[in-house]
Amino acid sequence: MITAIRTELLKLRTTRLAIGMLAVAAGWTGLVAAIEASRAGPGGMVPSLATTAGLRDVLTSTGFALIIAAAYGTTVTSGELRHHTITDTYLDEPNRRQVLTAKVITAGLTGLVFGAVGTIVTTGIGLAFAGAHGDHITIAGGTIARYAAGATVGAGLLAAAGAAIGTLIANQVGAIIAVFAWGFGVEQIIGGVFHHLAPYLPLMASETMAGSTNGGMPPLPKGFTPLPFGAVVGLVAAVALILAVIASTTTVNRDIT
Amino acid sequence: MAVIEAEGLTKRFGPVLAVDDFSFAIEAGSVVGFLGRNGAGKTTTLRMLLGLVIPDAGRATIDGRSYRQLPERTHRVGAALEASGIHPGRKVADYLRVRASATGIPNRRIGRVLDQVELSAAAGRRVGTLSLGMRQRLALAAALLGDPDVLILDEPANGLDPEGVRWLRGLLRGLAQEGRTVLVSSHVLAEVAEVATSVLIIDAGRLVAHAPLQDLLAQAPRRVRVRTPDPGALADALNARGLQTETGDGLLRVVGARPEQVATLAAEQSIPVLECASEDADLEDVFFQLTSPTANTVASEATQ
Repeated sequence: MITAIRTELLKLRTTRLAIGMLAVAAGWTGLVAAIEASRAGPGGMVPSLATTAGLRDVLTSTGFALIIAAAYGTTVTSGELRHHTITDTYLDEPNRRQVLTAKVITAGLTGLVFGAVGTIVTTGIGLAFAGAHGDHITIAGGTIARYAAGATVGAGLLAAAGAAIGTLIANQVGAIIAVFAWGFGVEQIIGGVFHHLAPYLPLMASETMAGSTNGGMPPLPKGFTPLPFGAVVGLVAAVALILAVIASTTTVNRDIT
Repeated sequence: MAVIEAEGLTKRFGPVLAVDDFSFAIEAGSVVGFLGRNGAGKTTTLRMLLGLVIPDAGRATIDGRSYRQLPERTHRVGAALEASGIHPGRKVADYLRVRASATGIPNRRIGRVLDQVELSAAAGRRVGTLSLGMRQRLALAAALLGDPDVLILDEPANGLDPEGVRWLRGLLRGLAQEGRTVLVSSHVLAEVAEVATSVLIIDAGRLVAHAPLQDLLAQAPRRVRVRTPDPGALADALNARGLQTETGDGLLRVVGARPEQVATLAAEQSIPVLECASEDADLEDVFFQLTSPTANTVASEATQ
């Protein structure tokens, strides 16, 4: 398994997709954080950065990093089908469950980087804007670290789930579209109509894991109570695991033509 | 001893029966040309052999085991199935690094196989910038990474220019001389005839022939090529003796006859003959004869 994971990581390092999508994630997340920070203040859409709520909204606006991590995860598996490289992959390691497991783990590890970069960007922008306004930092360092850890773990789990989705939806573009449609469509509708379900929806749950309580992008509906940190981690991990098990059953007997 | 064996391999894709009860055995150290028209079932058969396509019935083994269960797989079998199955954004050397990493082969083999396929100069290029012929060489390099005893190659000459085809021929000959077993599929018959010791022919998913190349060629009817100013009269005379004739390129061809037989008949009829020589049957003749709709009888005789 170690060899399989090392090989998957080498595959990621030897193409430009991972670094490209990471750059997109950092760019979009930074843009959202900058817009949130610039709108903060009295009379603005976001409370002042001098307040806990205002600064938290900016620091936790890592939603784009999370959803792009999930989209990236889909490419780890669907990319092999798109480029027909899956033939070589299965020639080298015919144990398809092992290959899929290695891919899910690799996507998860890479997803951690997406989350970490996203949170570094939002934290940097939030603190820079607050500093520029001369606002006192009202959130403790430990809390900021917890937001960062939540975003990092959340992105990792979503990327792992994405890898499973990329196996189920073999079309690479289709898989990416499905992820965004889920985040900006399905979850928005379900979470918007049934507020009590919002904490259980994987992307929204991951956003709450990263410390977000409302707003954000994709936006969280107002007025729901997030699950405890451990419960959210368990929930999203369970979703990734279930998707991976389903993906595993479909990939074992798939003909590679 | 058979190294590669297939027993009753059958595969259906929806309404299409791609491979139908296909059986064969390939001895160690032989170079077998796997022939068939496009869509005949060659690639599906090879993919079943390598565990990529799951047969509906039958089994395919290498050294008596399925590919998935083969120990020391990388050093036993090397396969090049599709040159298009290489990520276009990856560099040549990186592609081989990935393959080596996946199979536990030391990176020092990469330089060696790149030299072997004469692609060392392109090691730093991205695969997407390579010609199809260069990608074929790269796929062959990957197949050779583990220095395997058995090579399974699917249409390796696709995209190669004439020089590349000659190079491939030399490579295959070299591999054969080293005692390796090579199963190479192709629809370019001349290329196979140059290197194969035996031939496996598939048509519409069914085995049509599996025999040493020389045996197959010996079964093909001989032709006599005749140049005469009066081909019509000579053809009539030959047909009257029950011999089949064909015309084309200004020549008359007589099927299943000997040159002296034709020349004697022409002399009896006072028909001048400018040229009269036997033509050896080639693999193309045999192939088309065996895969024609009326070839069942010949096929069953040719099949071992």
